[in-house]
Formats: sequence, C-alpha cells, structure tokens
Amino acid sequence: MTQLIDTSIYTAVTEAIQGEARRILSEGSVSAVVGYAAARRKGSAQPVVITQADDSGKLIFSAACVNNLAVYLTKAKKDIPKNGKIGIVVKGCDLKALVGLMGESQLKREELYLIGVPCAGVLASTILPDTALTSGTIASKCRECGERLPQGCDYTPTVTPPITPVLEKKYAAEIARLEAMTPAERWAYWKEQFKKCIKCYACRQVCPFCFCEQCLCDRNKPQMVETTPRPAGNFAWHIVRAMHLAGRCAGCAECERVCPMDIPLNLLNRKMAKELKELYNHEAGFEVREKGPLAMYDEKDDQSFIK
Amino acid sequence: MQKYLSENNLKALLDRLIADGKRVVAPRMDAGTPLYGPLANSGGMVMDKLPRRSAKETFFPVCEDIMTYGKEGQKVNLTDIDPSTFPETVLVGVRPCDAAAIPVLDAVFSWDYKDEFFLERRRKTTIVGLACTKADDACFCTAVGLSPADPKGSDLFLTPLEGGGYACETFTEKGEQLINNHTVLFTEPNGSQPLPPAEPQTEKFDLKKVKKWLDEHFEDPAWDSIAVRCVGCGACAFLCPACHCFDIVDEGTEKAGKRRKNWDACGFWKFTHHASGHNPRDLQPKRYRNRIMHKFKYYDDKFGQSLCSGCGRCIRFCPVGIDIAAIVEEISKK
Repeated sequence: MTQLIDTSIYTAVTEAIQGEARRILSEGSVSAVVGYAAARRKGSAQPVVITQADDSGKLIFSAACVNNLAVYLTKAKKDIPKNGKIGIVVKGCDLKALVGLMGESQLKREELYLIGVPCAGVLASTILPDTALTSGTIASKCRECGERLPQGCDYTPTVTPPITPVLEKKYAAEIARLEAMTPAERWAYWKEQFKKCIKCYACRQVCPFCFCEQCLCDRNKPQMVETTPRPAGNFAWHIVRAMHLAGRCAGCAECERVCPMDIPLNLLNRKMAKELKELYNHEAGFEVREKGPLAMYDEKDDQSFIK
Repeated sequence: MQKYLSENNLKALLDRLIADGKRVVAPRMDAGTPLYGPLANSGGMVMDKLPRRSAKETFFPVCEDIMTYGKEGQKVNLTDIDPSTFPETVLVGVRPCDAAAIPVLDAVFSWDYKDEFFLERRRKTTIVGLACTKADDACFCTAVGLSPADPKGSDLFLTPLEGGGYACETFTEKGEQLINNHTVLFTEPNGSQPLPPAEPQTEKFDLKKVKKWLDEHFEDPAWDSIAVRCVGCGACAFLCPACHCFDIVDEGTEKAGKRRKNWDACGFWKFTHHASGHNPRDLQPKRYRNRIMHKFKYYDDKFGQSLCSGCGRCIRFCPVGIDIAAIVEEISKK
C-alpha cells in the first residue's frame, strides 16, 4: 500500500534556509550560497548560486530538491566566485560526499559554510516534479537513509524530521537478487542494461567524486576505453567507474537518478560498498580520512584472494 | 487520402510488413525503458509512451560503422559500408514533435555534403505519425509553432478516435503506397470523432524576437545565470530530436578495426577542445550558449528553420533542471 510521506517540515526548512542565507550573505561571511530555487514547471526545483542577500528569497527546499550540490564545489566551482567561503545547502546524503571530498583534499572545511537540511526524503525522479512524496515515489536511497538530520553543519534549522514509515530497502533486495544469479545470468542482466547506454556521461558529470580534470575515458591518445556507445565500451566505462568509486561513493545515487536510460547504476556502487564493508569494515562518508581502503595497504588486510 | 484503421488492423499491418521482410521500428520497452526499436512482432509495440530517445536514431544511429579496415601483411584493405544494403523500414507511432524534426534534419544532412547514411535511410523509410492526446508541462510543441496533431514529417498520420482505432491521412506518395499495398486493412472513415488533442501549457514563442536578441547578445551576462548550473553532460543533446552533431573515431587494433560515427554534444568540454590545448568554449556557459544559438539562430540563419520541436525531453531529463522553454520565454521577453 502506498503511504504518503510527511514533508510539512519543508516550509519551515525553506524559511530557515532563506533567513540564514540572507544573514551570511549580508554580513559578508560567505561570497555565495549554493542552494535550490523553484523553476518554471509546477513543483520543480533547480540548483542556484546566489551572491546577493536580496536573492535569498529564491531559495527553497522541497521533495524535488534532489541534486547533490557538492558537485558544484568541484568540477563547476570555476564558475562560482571564490573570494571567500561558500555556503551550501546539504542533505545528510550530500554531506557524506563533502566529507569524502575533504578526505581527498578537494575541499577544505574552513572554506565552506554548511547549511544542513533536516530531511524527510526526496523524489526518485523529477521527470514529473509535481508528484507527492510517497512510499512509491521516494528515492531508493531515502528508503535506507540513516542521516535525516545532518551532523556537524554550521547551521541546521531546529526542525525535527518527521518519523517516516519503515520502507522496504530496495538496494539490499536487488543486490541479493543479483548475487543469487549465475555469472552468466548476471552478465546477461547488465548487458541488457548497458546496451541502452548512450555515453551522455550524465552519471559522471553529476558525480561529486568524478572530479578528474580529464577523465581517463575521454582520452584518445592512447585510447583507454572505447568511447563508442557500443556494448564493449559501455561495459568498460561502467565497470571502470564502479571500481574508481569503490570505497569513495557515499551513495547519493545521483548517477542513477540522472541516467536518461534508467540504468540502475547505484546498484554497482552499493555492491562495491557492501564488499568494502565486509572486507575492510569501511564505510565512505563518515570521517575525513586521507585514504580509502583501495588506496592503501595494511598487513592485516584480507589476503585470502591470493591463491 | 483518408481512411480508418482499427487497432487490430494496425497490428495486422505491422505483422504483414514484418512478414514481408520490412524492418518495422516502433516504440517498445527495452530493459524497462521506452525506446524506438525494431519489432519482432506487433505485440511489442507500446503506443502510450513517448520514447526516451527521439526517432532521429532511425536515420542517424547512436553509433554506426562507416568504414572497416584490415591489414594483411603490408597490404591495407579499406571497405566502405554500402548504404544501399540498408533495409526498407516503416517507422510507426512517431509523435508529432519527433516526426517534425526529421525534415528539419534533411537540410543539414543534404547541404554541401550529402550524407548518404542519413539520406538512404530517409529514402527507404515510411513514417507513420501519431497524434498526442496527453501532454505534461515539459511539452511545448505549440510554443514553437507545431501542435500535438501536426502531421509535419509524417507520410501517413494516425489520429486516435473516440470510438477506438485511428483516422489515417496520407501526406506523401509513400503514405499512399503503404495504404495501397494493404487496402484490405484500411476501411472508409466511420464518422468517429478524434480524441481531443493534448494541450501543452506554454504560450507561443515569438521566435523572430528571440532570434533578434540572439543576433545581438552573443556576449551577455544572462548566459552565466542561465548556465551556471549546467554540469556539461550530453543528455539534452542525445535525447533531442534535432541535435545532430557527431564525432568520427577509429577503433580497433593494428590488424583490423572500424571507423565509426557517434553522437556528440556541444555541452561536452571536449567538443571544441583543440589539439593545441586551446578551447574557445572554455567555460560551460559558452557551451550552453551554443546550444541555444544553434537551435534558434545559426540554423535559422543557414536554413531558415529552428532546431527545436518542443518535445520537452531535455527539460524532463536535464540532471540539473535546466528548462529550455523557460529560457526561450525569458529571452523573448527581453
């Protein structure tokens, strides 16, 4: 049965974000605030960068505020004025990406002013943004979210997230289903999915951790990965990406949300996260670490795979 | 020519075409996603969903081989792909926004260089359009001068009727030929009224005014505020029925390989990256500006048409909510 999810706190959250953005911009403690603004379509939202206190009223928070804005602090940061701290609106899931980026020396905590959002969940897809948040429309990542109230932000509105109904964890079930398959069946499943890939690279472009100045997969001298949207190159691309994100991806699931071909990309990332938890007791996005388990060696590491 | 085609007879038509050895391309589900693709039989057709990618791929595939090479000792063999081997195709269930973009693409693919890959497929394809009875608030065909019942680009156009089935109208010889080859399936119009067409909510753009502003504002602060959020993927261009840029790559080994033509997009940083390292479109707003300029100014300058049919795919699937209809509307009010 579909259950409605209570998002009534978002009105208070919106007001609090606006007030705080106005305060920090007018006192000059930040040069810009990255947040969400309403867009033309009913119920829609889009990322916005405001630099004037008078524009604070544009900021909103709703179930359509799906983006992980951390991406604007890496790849796109060239376009954001850097003469001072940058304020950013973060959900709990987004904060995990920021923690990871700090660990990888891409960001400094003191350069950021974090406005945390008490979150009741966001939509899985904004193809139709004017959609009520329910147990059927909520993003899969929100079904297993343990960070509805982000910790350690500079400002968090004093609003308690509502108790959300217990929702079925979709990733765990889907991973279990795939793990139960034979390798040939699994291969067939991913082949069908990757066949659809058109190499639009939306997955890469929204990923906070895909911050390489030049992606290996864009190189053609020498070519590392076939750039053509064909099965071989598509497989290579998605597997390279999953491996490169292993131990780093904190599960914002933006790659999966934006894929115009509906490829369940976060399944790969969650599977890798599960493996790293089992092998190294590592979970991404909780502490600022210099190196993830795949970037270092310890004598106590599991060696059983060496035959 | 006006005829009536029942739903069952539409299926029968497709099955007969397939049995005759024709390639029948129609909307179908592909690993959970609606896409245009070749049907094995009429049962696979999905008429109530706008395919995620546009119909352009029937003529201009995501990726196609244009030449193969092989090396035997010191001898290199080059083999062209022969477009005359492309199959006769019937493209069915094409929405007006998708069908209307196809003749717009004819202009660029038959301009100075005649692209035989595109043109041969065009010659060999009959397009059966389908009127829309549903629209969402990303649809804006009416804003760019089309409509949910516009037969532009269709050889034969189907309009769903209140009493079920379709009113068929032919617009070209190809369309008439399709009916004449299968007269038993098409009957005389039965007087049933068309279902009311969809009504996209946007107001009609003044495209002349938009172009005039674009003519005069290559440099403008508006580009920064419009595109600051653009993350530089190719989703908009790849889903677009009218975007047509491609890249040519050679892939293979020293011994054998292929030259391929792949979709490309002006949103990618690499699109204008020169071998020297210089990039004239060094920042994302310059790339996004090109998208708007190409659609509403450059193509108009060159071919007197606009490169947008208002399908709304780029709006629905932009990862960061960029809304081309809102942008053009804003420009038209400047």
